[in-house]
Amino acid sequence: MLTAVVTRVGEAFTVHLSTVPPTTPPAQETTTTNANTTLSTDGVVAKDGTATATKDTAAPGPNPIVPELKEVVWGAGAFIVFALIMRYLAFPRLKRGMDARYSGIRADHEQADATRIAAKTDVAAYQSQLAAAKAEAAATVDVARQQLEAKRTERIAAANAEIATMRAAAAADNDAARAAVQGQIQGAVADVSSNAITLAVGKAPDTAVVSRVVDEVMSAGANR
Amino acid sequence: MEAMSHLVKAAGATTSTPTELKAQAAASSAGFAYGLAAIGPGIGIGYLVGKSVEAMARQPEAAGMVRTTMFLGIAFTEALALIGFVVFILIGL
Amino acid sequence: MLALDFPKINEILRWQDIFPSFNKIALIAVLAAVIGSGIFLLAGSKDSSVAPTGIRNLAEIIVEFIEESVVMQTMGKKGLKWTPFLLSLFVFIYLCNVPGIIPLFQMPATARIAIPLFLSLLVWIVFIGTGLKHQKGAYFGHLLWPPGVPIALKPLVGLIEFFSTIIVRPLSLTVRLFANMLAGHILLVTFALLSEAMFQAKTHQPFLNIGGILPFFMLVFLTGFEVLVGFLQAYIFAILTAVYIGTSIEGHGDEANEAHAH
Repeated sequence: MLTAVVTRVGEAFTVHLSTVPPTTPPAQETTTTNANTTLSTDGVVAKDGTATATKDTAAPGPNPIVPELKEVVWGAGAFIVFALIMRYLAFPRLKRGMDARYSGIRADHEQADATRIAAKTDVAAYQSQLAAAKAEAAATVDVARQQLEAKRTERIAAANAEIATMRAAAAADNDAARAAVQGQIQGAVADVSSNAITLAVGKAPDTAVVSRVVDEVMSAGANR
Repeated sequence: MEAMSHLVKAAGATTSTPTELKAQAAASSAGFAYGLAAIGPGIGIGYLVGKSVEAMARQPEAAGMVRTTMFLGIAFTEALALIGFVVFILIGL
Repeated sequence: MLALDFPKINEILRWQDIFPSFNKIALIAVLAAVIGSGIFLLAGSKDSSVAPTGIRNLAEIIVEFIEESVVMQTMGKKGLKWTPFLLSLFVFIYLCNVPGIIPLFQMPATARIAIPLFLSLLVWIVFIGTGLKHQKGAYFGHLLWPPGVPIALKPLVGLIEFFSTIIVRPLSLTVRLFANMLAGHILLVTFALLSEAMFQAKTHQPFLNIGGILPFFMLVFLTGFEVLVGFLQAYIFAILTAVYIGTSIEGHGDEANEAHAH
């Protein structure tokens, strides 16, 4: 049972908490001798002990700085038992589990790293293969292109040669025809000339001379 | 801890016995004891934490080390104020 | 003027025995040991091959926090064999700090000096023992004189170093943890009592009753703050232990800073 006594002395209010019921008035009231003695008891409040912090206190003891043996002994015993349990039972088990899990995680990490490196080498091999295939394909294409080019030039050369022979044959035909025509014309002109001379002179000229003269004149005329 | 009541008595009472006088003197000096003891550590801890924050802002990667050292420094500095507090309790009783 | 008369400090710190020589502090310490070892034993019995969930996840996060933020930062790889000890320290202190804000407990076991004192003395024994084991007799030389101290300064430096290592180290470890938690506890009690007294004030009716919401908000804020402090103090205790053991293993380190700090 905790009791709070609120006392007013002049202008001063005093709240006094004590474990004893207020059977004896506080010291201030006995020393108050002036006229407002009636006011000094107007605030006596008895109430239940609400704060558990002050419910079951011990009797006033020594200085609070001085350690109490029973507390030291109990605290020491509790801590030593606790530390020994932690050192030899709880901590090693916990730590072993933690280490096992962490090393497992680390192993997993290393495995993942190894896998990643393997994948990287695979990718590199694939890429080198790809490059080789590409080079091969390019080489094949080049070869084919060169073959085609050679074939084409060959064909063109053949066609050109054919054209040349054909043209030469045509030119020969042409020349032969022209020579024939020229011979016919020459013969005709010589005939006409010798006839004309026969008519004019009365006797037939030498055909060889006539044909030579005609030939000269024609070639001279052609050359003019 | 009945320092305040001693002070109240000192304000109201006209005559006092030597023990009461001693209690009154102790009550009034207990407050001073702690107040004076708190000045130095107050300045010290303020300076210490301020410098630590500066260091942490300048080098955030060293923040963990700075924080540990800061707590150590606070612990050593604070001990002075706490000794003052213990003296306060010893005198005030 | 409104004056609050506080309960006596022993009233908010000392507890009646639940049964002879077993009080709330002892109960919290035993519960911390039971809950801590329960969590880690249960976590250790879970399947370790799959991704951790639930309690195993929690335990592994704590273990890795100790390894990464405490051991590796201060001792390096060769300090990893100290992980169980530092882990026990961290978990035990944290579980002793946290009841300060858990309803019905509302008392950090480390707000009494007994547990911090014992843990500091244990750490003290451990780091001196480690130094003797690793450096044999040379440890005391390293303890007293950092390398490169002039002959003329040796007595002075030796005195300071001896004082800071042998006396101030365990003392400051104790006081840091104990006073932090005690201060937090007193703050919570203060604001809880203030807001309660204001809510139930019979004088200045409306103002005091409505104004009581302000300390109540402060109380809520401080409760959140105490979660942080409880964690931070456990962390600092563990990391300082790691630093001390680390300097014992390999000679000289941070003693110079410490000598300045105190």
